Amino acid sequence: MKISFSINGKSQVLELDGNTPLLWAIRDVLDLKGTKFGCGKAACGACTIHVDGKAVRSCSFPVKMADGKEITTIEGLSKDGDLHPVQQAWKDEIVPQCGYCQPGFIMATAAMLNEIPNPTDEDIDQNIINICRCGTYYRMRKAIHKAAKLQNLQK
Amino acid sequence: MMKHTIVGFVIIAIILSLSFSLESTNNIGQKTYQDGDEIEVMIGDDPFDKMMAVLLHKRCVNCHPGGDIPLQGEDSHLHNFDIERGPDDHGLAGYTCETCHSSENNDFSGVPGAPHWALAPRSMAWEGKTRVEIASQMMDPNRNGGRTPKEIEEHLTEHELVLWAWNPGVDAEGTPREVPPVSKEEFIEAVKEWIEAGAIIPAE
Amino acid sequence: MSDKNKSVQKTSSSRRKFLVRGGLGSIGLLALGSCVFINPLRRSALGLSESLVLPYSGKGTDANLWFEFTEENTLIFHSPKVEMGQGTFTGFAQIIADELDLDMNSIIVQAAATDTGILDRFTTGGSLSIAQLYNPLREMAAMMRQMIVNEASKKLGMAVDQLRTREGFIDHPNGSLSYAEALANVTEWKLPKNVALKPSTALKHIGKPIPRIDLHDKIVGAPIFGLDAEMENMLHATIIRPEHIGSSIKSIDFSEAGQMPGVVRVVEGKGWLGIVAESFSQALAARSKVNIEWDIPKVWTEEDLRAYLKVGEGKQMITQKVGAALEDDDEFVSLSFSSPIGAHAQMEPNGAVAEVKDGKATVILSTQSIGATQHSVAKALGFKTKDVNVIGKYLGGGFGRRLDTSHAAEVALIAREIGRPVKFSFTRKEEFQNDMFRPPTHHIVKGRLNEQGGIANLEHHYASGDVAINSLLMPPAMSKMLGTDVGAMRGANIMYGNIANRRAVQWHKTLPFATSFWRSLGLLANTFAIESFIDELAWNNQIDPIALRLKSLGDDETQTRISKVIKLAAEKSNYTNELIGNRAMGFAASIDVGAPCAQVAELSLTNGIVRVEKVTCVFDCGLAVNPDQVKAQCEGSIIMGISAAMHEKMGLKDGRLFPINYGSYDMALMRHSPKEIDVHLIQGLDRPLPVGEPPLGPIGAAIGNALRRLTGTRFTDLPMKLK
Repeated sequence: MKISFSINGKSQVLELDGNTPLLWAIRDVLDLKGTKFGCGKAACGACTIHVDGKAVRSCSFPVKMADGKEITTIEGLSKDGDLHPVQQAWKDEIVPQCGYCQPGFIMATAAMLNEIPNPTDEDIDQNIINICRCGTYYRMRKAIHKAAKLQNLQK
Repeated sequence: MMKHTIVGFVIIAIILSLSFSLESTNNIGQKTYQDGDEIEVMIGDDPFDKMMAVLLHKRCVNCHPGGDIPLQGEDSHLHNFDIERGPDDHGLAGYTCETCHSSENNDFSGVPGAPHWALAPRSMAWEGKTRVEIASQMMDPNRNGGRTPKEIEEHLTEHELVLWAWNPGVDAEGTPREVPPVSKEEFIEAVKEWIEAGAIIPAE
Repeated sequence: MSDKNKSVQKTSSSRRKFLVRGGLGSIGLLALGSCVFINPLRRSALGLSESLVLPYSGKGTDANLWFEFTEENTLIFHSPKVEMGQGTFTGFAQIIADELDLDMNSIIVQAAATDTGILDRFTTGGSLSIAQLYNPLREMAAMMRQMIVNEASKKLGMAVDQLRTREGFIDHPNGSLSYAEALANVTEWKLPKNVALKPSTALKHIGKPIPRIDLHDKIVGAPIFGLDAEMENMLHATIIRPEHIGSSIKSIDFSEAGQMPGVVRVVEGKGWLGIVAESFSQALAARSKVNIEWDIPKVWTEEDLRAYLKVGEGKQMITQKVGAALEDDDEFVSLSFSSPIGAHAQMEPNGAVAEVKDGKATVILSTQSIGATQHSVAKALGFKTKDVNVIGKYLGGGFGRRLDTSHAAEVALIAREIGRPVKFSFTRKEEFQNDMFRPPTHHIVKGRLNEQGGIANLEHHYASGDVAINSLLMPPAMSKMLGTDVGAMRGANIMYGNIANRRAVQWHKTLPFATSFWRSLGLLANTFAIESFIDELAWNNQIDPIALRLKSLGDDETQTRISKVIKLAAEKSNYTNELIGNRAMGFAASIDVGAPCAQVAELSLTNGIVRVEKVTCVFDCGLAVNPDQVKAQCEGSIIMGISAAMHEKMGLKDGRLFPINYGSYDMALMRHSPKEIDVHLIQGLDRPLPVGEPPLGPIGAAIGNALRRLTGTRFTDLPMKLK
């Protein structure tokens, strides 16, 4: 079927099986590799993207439901070539180790900060439920607090 | 997919996983059962019996939990990652139910979905309750969101999220989820019959 | 291969390649093994192998590529080791920057492909990359710098002593020229002899907390991982393998699957079935339509496993013997401990992209064993090794899982059959079921105090499945020669040199499913058992557990280094045996590959929920090339250790390994991670030690010892959970 949506500010029209998980349309059709395949079962969060500004796990989101929506992936998170505050904080705190889960965490964090601009530790514990095997949570927590500060400064 | 039709008495074998199923299925005799026992449940021809056999099924109870965490799976375990109900029963700000659940089942991920996927409010918690308690709170406007019996009937017989129980899709392993022990048509008929007859909750 | 996948390397038509021949020694474990055939000798050899940092052992005889300069004056270092998260590439760049006098930003590090690089025979693992390559790389970089200066001297007609190198440039009395300019048109190289390394006072990068060089790529989602690779015109494959332990395919019907949309071909292999489709989701959809009847000779249960693997069963090997053994009629304390099967659960599933064309094969993947993958693919295809090129990408986590990449051969076979490039990935379920698990363990620790309140006897009897035995790194002949599993032995011997009578006995069994290396190998479970036991001895006799440990240590260099981390950890954490409100502390220490580590875990108990609030970690890592990344390894090890000690457990269900996904395989999340991790590094040696694993040693016991104080219960089985 024909599906059209905007991704990272660019219109796309795809012709494919509507039940295809959006993850594979993003990675294999649109060749945006920053959104990761981790489990394919919406459990790990490595494939987290934004659909109309909300966090969505794209491995469990059929592409047909993206029709007419605005999609943002890690590649489109920052505007005008600057790093997004979450990415900047991640860089400042030197968060990544292997790095595979990081785009998903960054997208989940950006979505959370839209709703909770000044998250407490408890907010972070409850809202950030992606999985990182290298154990970078300790630095992520620091980076999330920092990102909140950076984002509030921009406003 | 399994489908049961009830003619008179139908015998269904289920694997007991929650103690409340024992307490609530009052017509199974006096024997004491243990977790994991295979028992035979006989569902009577009575509309109330039929309706409650569905409402007590895990497809319904999993989203009417007693606490703030949904239940999940055939064994009704706490939802993985202790996902929380949040302020409006749709999850938390950073992730909502829709982060993973869409408006239909997903055969690739095994994540179930239906329109308005959400938890029942706390006042409608069924987990661990008896048939009488569930029926009473379901008909009590103070606890059912101010619904009239007619509106309850509509919720039970027309709401897509309720009817999802008969189209529950496959789990993460690709195994079809169990459907309630009464067919959708018979359930709808039973609900209507019970409400039209005055929604009488039997003393148990 | 399309250019877009060469994300890290800048494409440049004319590069100056610098070829180095020979020069690196290779005295590996084999050389060590040839004289260790009788038991006491064998034990001393094992002692060596426990703490030995194996020398780097790349093939030194071929023309191999280390350094490559581009015309933009950028250096590409073709690394014999891969990057799987530990910051190894950053450490390499720091070493090169110092000895070659380069700006960090002008260095690109990428994993060497088999076509071009000097690959390490011992793969990437054991946290050894920096420890092994520190000296060879410094020497090589210093030599390269000298050669650049020599070439500049020739071009400028100036004496070498008039020239000074400065961040990629050579300054001379009349100006400067870039390294690239100095290297232009050089075809003959002369290797200088006796190149001096810089004195430590002149080092500007080594020892500094410099940000990782892969930081930007990893926060913008650059396509740097194995699963991001593609080839022109490729198809996608999924492979069905047996799910039940020891099972095989009895009959198979894929007629319906073959008719599914997008399916190009179904390929039958030896014991597996490949489904090839236009897209991965089509391959997955078709897969669900395959009907297979399995031959399952035995349905394994967890009870079977527990009975099969325990102290007293299997092959016995004394791995430590000092003084006398405890006799059955002696009076002593004995405790039994256990740890479950552990999954690697690395975030990037295993996969590969392969093309077989004109008698040559190319495979791109994330692996810890680029060289071994080349051999296995060549063997499967019947090719000469040199006709297979394996290109390694960044790893989305390794932890030992990617030492085995046998699936690469299957993908190559499918690609040859199809005649087009094929990309394959494990599903997460397959990743869990086909893991090379951390074996379950069982331990009995026995001991008693002497009249002075010190430890008179301490014995650790431990049962484990394969770790090193039967692995890629330990072929059967070597396993037999050493007689014991050196992987299961990590952390198993008693480290306290002042205990007069100490003993460690290994009971080894090969399990019916694959077990192998999992970050820190036996260290996690062995330390949990020994350090919990010592704490229990102290607790029951009202002795301070730190004083008991210090008393048990001798006074040679290593024992003193252990003492130091213990003392500093006690001091920095303000360790106390007393409860502080709803909190308690637990103490533990270990030494692994020569690197001692002590940790204090501070736990709280609120409404039946236990949290690790704070961990203090003191780690003697030797010379820290990048102290910030050493700290990151401590933090990561502590969190992975919390996950293993309090959450994770693989089991068996219907004869299959279970669970098969995150979530049901319970792991530590953000909310389980301590809000405070206070790391203190001691640099007790002037050379770098492995840092990615030793900090996983103490954490399990530190948590258990805190729980003992908090709940009154001694937890002896991992994972530790309050009921």
